[in-house]
Amino acid sequence: MEKLSKKAKVYLALVFFILYAPIFYLIFYSFNSGGTMSNFDGFTMEHYAAVFNDTRLLIILMNTVIIALLSSLISTAIGVLGAIGIVFLRNRKMRNAVLSLNNILIVSPDVIIGASFLILFTMIGVKLGFASVLISHIAFSIPIVVIMVLPKLQEMSSTLIDAAADLGATKRDILTRVIIPYIKPGIFAGFFLALTYSLDDFAVTFFVTGNGFSTLSVEIYSMARAGITLTINALSALIFVITLGLVVGYYFFNQRARNSIGTGGH
Amino acid sequence: MKSIIQATVAILVASALLLYGVSVLEKSSATTGGGSITVYNWGEYIDPELVQQFEDETNINVVYETFDSNEAMMTKIEQGGTSYDVAMPSEYAIEKMKENDLLIPIDHEKIPNLKNIDPYFLDLPFDPGNEYSIPYFWGTVGIAYNPTLLEGQTFESWDDLWDPTLKQEVILVDSAREVIGMGLNSLGYSLNSTDVSELREATDKLKTLGPNTKAIIGDEIVEMMRREEAAVALTWSGQAADMMWINENIDYSVPEEGSNLWFDNMVIPKTSSNVEGAHAFINFMLGAETAAQNADYVGYSTPNQAAIEIMDPEVTGDERFYPPEELREHLEVYENLGLEMLGIYNELFLEFKMDMEN
Repeated sequence: MEKLSKKAKVYLALVFFILYAPIFYLIFYSFNSGGTMSNFDGFTMEHYAAVFNDTRLLIILMNTVIIALLSSLISTAIGVLGAIGIVFLRNRKMRNAVLSLNNILIVSPDVIIGASFLILFTMIGVKLGFASVLISHIAFSIPIVVIMVLPKLQEMSSTLIDAAADLGATKRDILTRVIIPYIKPGIFAGFFLALTYSLDDFAVTFFVTGNGFSTLSVEIYSMARAGITLTINALSALIFVITLGLVVGYYFFNQRARNSIGTGGH
Repeated sequence: MKSIIQATVAILVASALLLYGVSVLEKSSATTGGGSITVYNWGEYIDPELVQQFEDETNINVVYETFDSNEAMMTKIEQGGTSYDVAMPSEYAIEKMKENDLLIPIDHEKIPNLKNIDPYFLDLPFDPGNEYSIPYFWGTVGIAYNPTLLEGQTFESWDDLWDPTLKQEVILVDSAREVIGMGLNSLGYSLNSTDVSELREATDKLKTLGPNTKAIIGDEIVEMMRREEAAVALTWSGQAADMMWINENIDYSVPEEGSNLWFDNMVIPKTSSNVEGAHAFINFMLGAETAAQNADYVGYSTPNQAAIEIMDPEVTGDERFYPPEELREHLEVYENLGLEMLGIYNELFLEFKMDMEN
């Protein structure tokens, strides 16, 4: 790769600074003993202690993570199978139609999806709570997974499958030992994107939470009337650090996997 | 394939551990035996210690949920699918919920602490005889200002906002009834006026406030006033109290021509599955000591006479937040003007905002 010119480097640094500045501003004030985001009075950890003392907030945080993990896992499984189904549709018109239907779900406003889920759940008598939130998160994540997996599938040569079949692989073998290993990066990308969508979704979740079950984004939004306390800053800082850890961990995991493939090949 | 199976197992294990964690936390905070109730309240509008105390005393487990606007709350209750037992809407929302048959009548015999409430706050036009609602907090609409940023102006009258020295200094709350109501009050009309020519006159007068208006915003008002980015704001007493809590320079006044008096009341929605528990909760919140502790925590004005008697006289003697009865006489409660009239209010407010941009 060509080396970046000095101008490009400065530009890049500036963009990253603008993107990260608000987050660091927020984290900085989570250590403020003054109680507001305006003047910094002194260093304190009391807001972090408050996070761990607030059982309700902790339960909400854990519920948010559980919903995110389970919904992205299930939607990845469904979405991958869906993408494989779409790619192997013989009829070109049909394939385009199914793809367009998938894309409409991605671009349609969350508010509409949320409202329609609320109407659906109340009509068929599903109690609002854990199940309703999980189902709706799975539903809006599936199209995202499909979109992430599809390019990998399209780039895969169909001769690979023919070759496998020639060598006596069953349909099941082709799926688990040829297709899935090939599109693995797409699967992981889809999973992580679904995870982030689920973690910060407000609009859909707002409609389908109820009976005491809530997620972090809905809870923080409700606090806005009385002013957001620095406890939220502390909580956001913790989440940011954990996310950072996950990304770094994922990077090293990938690096090792790549190295082992590299050495194993020779 | 192996790494995908490994990842799946890891995710499932993590979810199971978290689920276990939630159940442990829930058990530690829950008490069993008395059933459970779901309370649906504004964010940061109750002292969490009181919820714990209620659980300990009655063995009823409280599930607590929050909302951010009357409209959101009503939608959730109207759709069903949830079992909210107690909610805290504002007075105009109560009227609407009554119309839509969303409330269960409250049995006064089960609320002996109702005697603690100042009779002034009972039997109001939006709920005659308090058949459906019990007062929770109340307040006024007025002017918050920061004397250190001003040159000695005071705000005894709404007309003081039109002072030519206040160029680009006034923030207005982004709410049609408050702003149009202010225009009506400043002309000496009722803020429940349904006379179109009065409304026209009020809007025309508001338009002349343009040069002084810095912004028309929502909850950000509190933060802007705290940071001294603006000197004057039309706002609710509760928000003013929030500002003063951080920035001691700020003062609050309710102009003498009159203003709005508002209430947030406790109601039992139709969706309730534990009406007994809901009554017990309402009665608990009306106890003298609990109400006093709650008012200290939340910072709004309590309608609870018995609580006021045991609270810090410096707080309850503050006429800005606990105006004595003779000062309350010129305050009006919003009446439900009907959809058509509200449409006119909104249209005029929009017209005022559009005029602002020119």
